[in-house]
Amino acid sequence: MAAAVSIQGLTKTYLDVWSKTEIRAVDNLVLDVEEGEVFGFLGRNGAGKTTTIKMLLGLIFPTVGSATVLGKPIGDIGAKSQVSYLPEEAYFYEGMTGWDAMDFYARLFRIGEPKRSERIRKCLQDVFLEEQAWRRPIRGYSKGMRQRIGIAQALINDPKLLFLDEPTSGLDPIAHAELREIIVNVGRQGKTVFLSSHQLPDVELTCSRVAIIHRGRLLTLGRTQELTAGDMVEITFSGGDAGLVEKVKAVAGACEAKNGAARAPRVTPKDVNAIVDLVRGAKASVLSVVPHRRTLEEVFVDTVMKAGAN
Amino acid sequence: MVTLSIAKQTLEDMLRRKILLILLIVAVAMIALGPSPGFLSPRESSAVLRSLGLAVILLAGLLITVLTGIQVIPTEIERRTVYTVLSKPVQRYEFVLGKFLGGLFTVFVMIASMGIVFLGVLRYQEGRFAPEMVQGVVMTFFQMTLLGALAIFFSTFATPVVNFFLSFGLFIVGNMSAVTESLLQNKNVATRVIAGAVHYAIPNFGNFNIQNKLIHPQVVIKDMNVFIMQNIAYALIYSAVLLLLAILVFDRREV
Repeated sequence: MAAAVSIQGLTKTYLDVWSKTEIRAVDNLVLDVEEGEVFGFLGRNGAGKTTTIKMLLGLIFPTVGSATVLGKPIGDIGAKSQVSYLPEEAYFYEGMTGWDAMDFYARLFRIGEPKRSERIRKCLQDVFLEEQAWRRPIRGYSKGMRQRIGIAQALINDPKLLFLDEPTSGLDPIAHAELREIIVNVGRQGKTVFLSSHQLPDVELTCSRVAIIHRGRLLTLGRTQELTAGDMVEITFSGGDAGLVEKVKAVAGACEAKNGAARAPRVTPKDVNAIVDLVRGAKASVLSVVPHRRTLEEVFVDTVMKAGAN
Repeated sequence: MVTLSIAKQTLEDMLRRKILLILLIVAVAMIALGPSPGFLSPRESSAVLRSLGLAVILLAGLLITVLTGIQVIPTEIERRTVYTVLSKPVQRYEFVLGKFLGGLFTVFVMIASMGIVFLGVLRYQEGRFAPEMVQGVVMTFFQMTLLGALAIFFSTFATPVVNFFLSFGLFIVGNMSAVTESLLQNKNVATRVIAGAVHYAIPNFGNFNIQNKLIHPQVVIKDMNVFIMQNIAYALIYSAVLLLLAILVFDRREV
């Protein structure tokens, strides 16, 4: 599958005027985002996520390295016509109404009438923005409504590739869930989504692959399923005598009995058969053998801590 | 289409600025109240109104142009609205031109509004339409076109405060073209060199001030229409050069 985004050694440095030191916001970043995938781009505040996105959009320029977006070099106008961007905070011309803002952005994509009005209507409906809000100035919009119009403007050109920078930050739980659903739907339509977010449960739910960067450097890149796959198994069983729990504990390291059932939470795969044999040999019943998965948050924290949190 | 869309958005945004509307209202009020002093003869009153009207249009136009020119691009960057514009298929030159044209349309609307009120009051005062005053208003507009291009150029690399003083400073120096021109004949070589540099490098805003010629019949310009056309051409060419420089600077600017 072709790469929607291909980053080759992208580096961005700034000079700190006061300390005369060089700050590496992005450091020799190499990664590919495949067409049609929802890709999670993770990192702490200041890790270089937004800087990377801004370089890919041609808003700032790389110090070293190169990248292609939809097969074209950074800043290519042809590629930009198939790309959209939702910045971290959705900034708008406050005096414009929602409809006028959409009309303005549609004109920047050179979308003519009557298609322009059709697209505006569809996009505003797709993000569930109430119709009576369409003709109200944006300055009166809530945070959730702003994010909706932000996503709507990012969809106005029916893009092949979307860059979403913290699209759900600061939203209430309902708006958050609705916007997450919108992103999932966008992914289902076969569009490539480059999602930068601190909402790790959202990323885990929506992204097929993730990259974790720290201090501008790529630490981890892989399939979400593989990264969160644990190397431990949880076994629960019931029955047997009191000595069984102690025997299991001796093999698994930990086992506790509660309400007539016992649980060995972290069993290594090589010990699974031994424990199952122990349980069955004691005429007890195996209730479940469940692979223990790590959350993306655990993966993220482990990865960043290993690299040095500060 | 893109440039005009940006220009339209800029015009609408600027027309929502209260400070510009207040300036317009004050200027219009001053022009409208111009004929009030009852102790003046009709002839004197008319001369006062002509002077006052053109002066108010110039002063208000100056403030509106500088306030618009220094804001249109930095405000986009400060409010980060530029992200959603330049991430779209918009060339940077289209953005700069759109911002300039939007600012220019704003200045045009303001000067045209003041000009219409001025001509209306003058018609009421003198009992006849004064077409020669239109020339004064037109010259002020093209003077402001040049100043606006200068402010846009500075706004691509200077902060609004620095830009304010730079634009105002160069406008004042550029209005003293008669002085620098006379210094070109000075015996001192250093004075001649400095005067020459200032005279030719800084836009000649002084040539647009035809108020004296319009108000005092004894000041005569040989061919007024040619003089006006020459100055309009000068404003357009100089503005085009400034915009080209602004585009070159902004093309390399990170936002």
